[in-house]
Formats: sequence, structure tokens, C-alpha cells
Amino acid sequence: MSVAEPLATARWRNYVMESGDGLESFWRTHFRQERHVLFILGKGFDPRACLGLRSLLEAGGAGRRDIMAVEFDEGPSSPSKAYRPLVEENWTALQALVEGRATLSVRVVRIWSDDGRRIGARSAAALFSTFGDVSGYTDIVVDISALPRGIYFPLIAKILHLLDTTPENTGRRPNLHVVVAENPLLDRCIQDDGIDETAAYLHPFGASLEMEATADHPKVWIPVLGERQGTQLVRIYDLVMPDEIAPVLPSPSVNPRRSDDLLLEYRELLFDRLRVEPSNFIYACERNPFEVYRQIGRAVFHYREALQPLGGCKVVLSALSTKLLSVGTLLVAYELKQKRVEIGVAHVECQGYTIGAARGGGGSQADSELFGLWIAGECYEP
Amino acid sequence: MREPRNPFRLRASEHIESDATFLRLFEPAMLDVLPNEELWERVYILRSAPGGGKTSLMRLFTPQVLMTLHAYRGREECRELYSRLQDLGVIGEAGPRLLGVMLSCSRNYATLADLALDEARKERLLYGLLNARVVLAALRGAVALKRLEYPAGVERLTVEAIPQGEGLPGLGLPCKGNVLYEWAKKVEADVCDALDSFGPSHYHALPGHDVLASLRLIAPDILTLDGNPIAERVLVMFDDVHKLTAGQREKLLAALIESRASVSTWVAERFEALSTDQMLSSGATAGRDYDRVIPLEQFWREGGKKQRFERLLINIADRRARAATAVEMDSFASCLQASLEGAPWQDRMASAVKDVSDRVRSLVGNSPRYQEWLSARETMKGTASEILLGWRTLEILIERDKRKAQASFDFALSTEELEHREGSDVQAAAELFLARELRLPYYFGPSRLAGLASSNIEQFLRLAGDQFEEAVSAALLRKPTDLPPDRQEAIIRRAVDQLWEEIPQRVANGGEVRKLLQAVGEFAKWATYQPNAPYSPGVTGIAVSMTDRDRLRQQRSAPGTPAFHLARAIACAIQHNLLEPFLDYRVKGDRWMVLYLNRALCVRFALPLHYGGFREQTVAELCQWLEHGFRPRKEPTLI
Repeated sequence: MSVAEPLATARWRNYVMESGDGLESFWRTHFRQERHVLFILGKGFDPRACLGLRSLLEAGGAGRRDIMAVEFDEGPSSPSKAYRPLVEENWTALQALVEGRATLSVRVVRIWSDDGRRIGARSAAALFSTFGDVSGYTDIVVDISALPRGIYFPLIAKILHLLDTTPENTGRRPNLHVVVAENPLLDRCIQDDGIDETAAYLHPFGASLEMEATADHPKVWIPVLGERQGTQLVRIYDLVMPDEIAPVLPSPSVNPRRSDDLLLEYRELLFDRLRVEPSNFIYACERNPFEVYRQIGRAVFHYREALQPLGGCKVVLSALSTKLLSVGTLLVAYELKQKRVEIGVAHVECQGYTIGAARGGGGSQADSELFGLWIAGECYEP
Repeated sequence: MREPRNPFRLRASEHIESDATFLRLFEPAMLDVLPNEELWERVYILRSAPGGGKTSLMRLFTPQVLMTLHAYRGREECRELYSRLQDLGVIGEAGPRLLGVMLSCSRNYATLADLALDEARKERLLYGLLNARVVLAALRGAVALKRLEYPAGVERLTVEAIPQGEGLPGLGLPCKGNVLYEWAKKVEADVCDALDSFGPSHYHALPGHDVLASLRLIAPDILTLDGNPIAERVLVMFDDVHKLTAGQREKLLAALIESRASVSTWVAERFEALSTDQMLSSGATAGRDYDRVIPLEQFWREGGKKQRFERLLINIADRRARAATAVEMDSFASCLQASLEGAPWQDRMASAVKDVSDRVRSLVGNSPRYQEWLSARETMKGTASEILLGWRTLEILIERDKRKAQASFDFALSTEELEHREGSDVQAAAELFLARELRLPYYFGPSRLAGLASSNIEQFLRLAGDQFEEAVSAALLRKPTDLPPDRQEAIIRRAVDQLWEEIPQRVANGGEVRKLLQAVGEFAKWATYQPNAPYSPGVTGIAVSMTDRDRLRQQRSAPGTPAFHLARAIACAIQHNLLEPFLDYRVKGDRWMVLYLNRALCVRFALPLHYGGFREQTVAELCQWLEHGFRPRKEPTLI
């Protein structure tokens, strides 16, 4: 097999991604014709919650606009409870935004089972059960700015699955877009609080990884590194127990020293405890999730090829960086799962979030940059 | 992967890939936790906070490790371990005599509970998955033990029919090992595919079993090679049982008890497996057959095993130090200076003698009552530190006596009386006070480092690893590798600060837990640093009466109440070994639950590392602490 093969067959080797003014322009062009849109967003405290919707609604265009706010309760002891007023503030802003322009509904995702276990991923995947749930739309937009990974990973994967597995004769399949408002300053202020004791594989990526029958297959772990994730890294490592670690560093990046800073932050963990080989690092542009998708895809291909004599390998991905980059992780996980690769997404949840001192400066929304990723639909059709 | 520069960083046994390295680092004294009798006849539960050593202990009994041990039995570092396992009947001159099957319960089982199925069906799926995995793990172990290729070697194994045994759907007995292998593989794959599926459920077609029959399938008389048992004994070790749902855990434990299989079973779980109620009652399951709980931290904490545990830790540290590639070091203790006998400290103490003795003289004034005590100190011989300690001890004793003796006559107290009152606890308090007053290091040396472990091996490795890192760096720079006391303490403080900062992230309800610990710590500090050191050497814990404890347990169903939050914070703190519980402690005519601060947290609050000093608190008071923090009463302290 040639080195070019993974790219040649990669689903998202060509892609559509816009940001900032380019995204607004894209919306305006896209909505010139009548389109019925289902816009899904998180009902949370994140000040970026409404940015994507505002951008879309301001683009105008004819057709139905249905807004689905996903509400999730992180539990009675969640530190996020302290930000209830911010949630209400966002909700009021959202209601004002959609007034007369769209319908607004709320869907609740259960995070905890009655006996106190996390079931958020399965609940999120269950928001849509058949193609009929989305067939009435031309476009589905998932804004992940105010959604946690444990929800938007299974949600987007499920929608993709429904779109992919529906026979063509059932009608035109909707476009699927993902929107995220990036704001590194704000991301730095929002900290995970009460991180779960143990990591887990996110549904639907991971059950096959834990099979006893293939326990002797080497495991390759590819974590996409971000700041202040030391505890999460350790807990995911404890779950995965990889034979090989290939961390992804953001490069090129706006701050050219960001990769160095990350290496300094995790020096002891990566080199002393986990004994990562320096040659194993993968580099991907911090502002392009498709680059992450491509680099991870290529690495997986090479690992599988090299480890074929041992029966192949299992691959575990972890998204510990920005939401934008985590979309790349999701796409590669989805595609590899479709190709029957033993793939998992290891993740550790937290009980909630605390907002650091920089929040409340008022400029957080202005500092955000909107990214739009068109990941399924007409642009990929022949 | 590369060889470790600092082997202390390889904390959990799972992080140590090589069996040879694992054996080199494994300290045989860890086997002390196993009971001397009925080790193979009963179901045992190893329970601890994270890092207690459960998985390491279990890994020791797996085939590859035992085979490596057998190969290395002549080596000095493995000799004692080999001998201990020989005594247990685990290994012999011919090789391993036990087939250890280790299985983590963290994999998918809990997810079964989320499927849209009735309870009976879920239970069948649970047993189905467990059966498949026990079989697969046993086959892999058996093949390894017989030095065959996996999975090709399973073909040579035979599975006999089980006398009066329940059948398993889809499996005809007797059969060859490969038939059993394919059967188990399919059962597991079907269940896992369904769990990862996006599509509509077809769960009703999934394989399920009524009983945990796999234990019988792998018994020595059933699973054989050329008509002979694979090993004389089979031990199945279920790790991470806390990852099962509460219902699944109960079912598994019950199934193990009821199993008529001639295999031994051990279960390892964290305290998380227990509810708040169970945590507060120390997980008591009295009257059950599986009530052979081995609580690891508690085992080392109680029954005068402090010194044994300290030795265990130092041995572990020595083994790690010897495994370092960057430096040659035979003993970890050689990295740590253990006294303040060096010139800078002695000079500082010598210059402080005058201040402290002047303070004592001023305290005594013209009273004849303490003249003999004063004379005894003035004529005392010794090093500067001994003389200083003598004066500071005297100051505490006079403070005490003055508080008691206000109504008594001013008779002179004899030197015999001084010696009588001058116990080691008062001297320990004096040492602590001096460290604080003169900014002398207090937390240094191998013994105190071991004390900071709070009976948890991982915590020790974390603290010791930081010290070793510094020693390795010093060696690379060709500087002395024995760290001076002040440097040791600075490293420890940095590690403790980090531990403290991590609590909200690491621990469930971490914010609440840290507030409680902060209040307990501040209270302990306030109570310790009274001029008369009333609870010498100091207070490091609180006690709740067992009656109050029972009230707390009842509050578990009343969410939102202050007592509910308190109960939850205490339970979470115990789960993570941040509070060390001693139940049913009898004192002052009552029974108490004593909660000591984790010893590492004692550093944060400048407390001694001794146990025994605690103060009783009511639930109402503790609820106040949790809400508003500790507020000291208006009494003079040294703080």
C-alpha cells in the first residue's frame, strides 16, 4: 500500500470550512435559496452559546428555522449550578433572538442514570432515532460552542450515521454543518471541575476496544493535547494502557511557542512517566480540524501497517484540546469505525465547570471567532 | 519505550510494562496483607483508595509474572519474593503451580445496565459477557503457562464435561480448547457490537447466560492439557469491581459465593464501590461469606504496623532507586539528610537558646515553684538542638502547670517531677513549635517522608519521586545527592500544594471536600498551637460520636440539607484517603468515629504527623464549618 492511500480514500480529503467574515458570506450565499434549517445548540452558561445562531439568522433567507436547545443537567453538586443566572441570561438572549424568526424547543439529555452513572452520551445519541427525525430539513446545524464533548460527539456521530445509512430513494439527505465559536482566552477561563475518577470510552466508540479476545493487540493512543489537562491525561492513560503513544501538538499555531509550552507543561508526565518517544509526536494546525483529521488518519494507517504482523492494532483517540480541533478527532473516529478499524474515543467527564477571573470582562463574545464546517451533504455529492 | 530515568514516576503497576521491572520493583512485604489461613478457600475483597496496591498484588499472580519470577528465582532481588510465593504454594522448582486469571471489570459491563431491557435479561447478558471473558482470559493464561502460541495453542487444550453442571447455550461439552475459544469470542463480539451500535436495538437476540458457569469450566480438573491440569490451582481475580453498577456488583459477589467451582476468587475494588452510607459504616457487610475484606490502608494503619509499613515503603523506594538508569544509587535513604546536625541549623539553634531561655525566665518571674526546673536546664549539657529543645519543652510544661496550679500553693517542683512530666509527646510538640518559630525544616528525612504516605503507596511514590528527581538532577550536575532538610521540605510543600489544588478537579464534590478539609486543618492548627500544647504533640483529626455518625447516615436520603452535604463530603474524602477513618474508637465513655487528616495535608497546616490527637465535634458544628469555615474561639495561641 502506498503512503498516499489513506488520503486518497479519506472521506474529508476535500472539505468546506469557513470562519469569521467568510462564514457570514457563506451563510448568505447558502441561504439564497429556500432552506429548512434545524439548528441545535446547548442551553448552557457559555457566553458563546448564541453567536452561531445569530450569525445564521442574520444571513436571512427563506424557509423554516427550527431551533433545538439541548438542556443537560450535570447533577446536583455540579459547580456549574453557580452559573444559573448566566444560563438564564443566555436563554433570555436566545428567546429574544428567535422571536418571530424561528421556533424554539428544548430537548433534555439525561446525564445521570437513576443509580448515578453517566449516560449522557447514549442519551445524546438517542435524541434522533430514525432518518424521519431529520428528513424534513435541508440543513442541520450543530453549534457545539456550549455543548460538552460527551454530548456533541455521539450526537454528531448519530446524525452522520442516519444520513449515511439512509437509502438514496428516501429523499434528499440534509446537509450537516458544525459551528463552533473559538475563543482561547475564554477557554482558558473555563475550567473542568470535579473530574471523574475514571475515564471511559465515549459511545459509540469503544466497546470493541475492550474485548478480551483481542486484548493482546497493541494499543496506540493518540491524544490531541491542550492546556491544563494533566489529570485527564493520566486518567485516560489508566483506562487505555497503551503500548504506543503519539500525542498531537498544535503546530502551526497563533502562538508559535504553544507546542513548546505544552511540552513543558506535560514534561514529567509524557517523558518520565509515560515515556513517550520524542519521534512519536504528530503536528497539526491549531485552526484546522481537517488537518487533525488528516494527520491522525495518516498516523493510524501507518501504525496499522507496521503492526499488521502482530494482528493489527487498536487505536484510541482523545480530544483534550479546543472544540474546533476535537471535531477533527470525531471525524477520523467516525470514518475509521465505518471502516471496521478497532477505534475508540477515550474521554473523561467532569461534574461541571468553573469560570475563572477573566470572565465577566464583557469582551468575551467579541473575542470569539466563529468557524463553520460543512461535513455532509450536497458539497460532497458527485 | 525507554528505560525510566526516575522509576518513582512509574506509580501504578499497570504503568510498568516489563514483568522483569515489575518484579524488581515489587516489595515482598506487600504479601503481608494476605491472610495466613484459608487464602484459597474463600472469596477475598481487596479494598483501598486509588494507589493502595491492589492491582500490583494481583498482577503478581498472573502467569507471565510468575514465569518471569521462576526464571529469575536465583537473582538476589527476586529471592525473597520467590520464597514467599513458594510458601504460599504458588510457585515451585518446576514452575508456577497456579493459573492466575486477572480480569478488569471496568470494561463495558456497566453499560449493559443502560440497555432498554428488563432486569432478568440484563443479568443474563452480564453473566454472558463475564463467562466469555473469564474463559478467554483463562485460555490465554493457560497457553502462556504451557509456553504455547496464543491463540493457536488453545487447540491442544481440552475441556471436560462438568459433572452435574449447567450447560452453556451454544457450547457442547466435552470439547477442544479452540471450540471453547471460538464460542467465547463470538459471545463477547456479539455483545460488544450491540453496545457500540448506532442502529435500532436487536438486544433480544444477544447471548445471555443464567449463571457464572465459566468458573467451573476453567477449574483444574476440567480445563486440561494432555489429560493433566494446567496448574494445581486456579485463581480468578476480578479487578476494578467498583466500576460495575451497584446491582451488578452485588450479583457478581453473590455468584462468587454461590459458585461451586473449585477455583479461588479475589475481588479488588476502590472505596467508590461503597455508598455514602457504607463509607460511613466502613463498608461493613457482616455475616456474609465474602466478608473477608482486606482494607489495605487500614491494614497498615492499625495494629501497630506503622513501623512495618515504613520499612515496606523504604524498601519499595530502595528498589526504585536501584532501578534508576541515570544514577547509581543503592539506597533511597542516602538521598535524604535525616537530621539538623549541620552547621547552619546548629548555629541558628544556638543563637535561639538565649531568646527561649529568657522567655522561660520571664514566664517564671520570681516564683520559687520552678527554680529547680530552671537550674536543671541551666546546667544541661548537650548539643545546641538538645539544649534548645529542653528549654522549649520546659516552657510548655510551665505554661501547663500555671494553668492548672493557679489555685494551688507555690511549692517548688522537683527535677524528678520535671522528668516525669517531660514525655516524648511534649518534646515532639516543642520540636514542632521550634520549627515554626525559628523557620527550621520539620518535614524531612526518610521516616517523616514515609509518615506522609498516609498508608498509601502511590502517595508515597509521588512524594518520594519528587525528592528522587532532585537527587538525580544533582547527580547529573555532579553535586551532592543527599538533599538537605530545607530542600526536602520545600519539595514536599510544593507537592502538597499541588495535591491541594487538584482536589476540586480530582475528587467528586471536590469543592465541598476541600472546604471541609480546610476547616478541619485550620481547627487542628488552632488546637495544636496553644501555648501549653494541650494535645501534644498536636491535633490532626476530629471525632464524631457514633450516634452522630448514625444520624449522618440517615441524612443520605435528604438531599440539600447541611447534614447531607457533610455526609457526602466526609464520604468522598474517605474514598480518596483525604480523611483516614477509625471507627468505634472508645474514649470518654463513648464510641467515636475518628477522622484524621491525610498526613500530607498536615504539612499544609503545619501539623505533626502523629496519630492520636483529635478533638470531638458535633455534626451541627461540622455543618457550620462546611458552610462558613472554622472560626476559632478567642483563646491565646502561638499562631
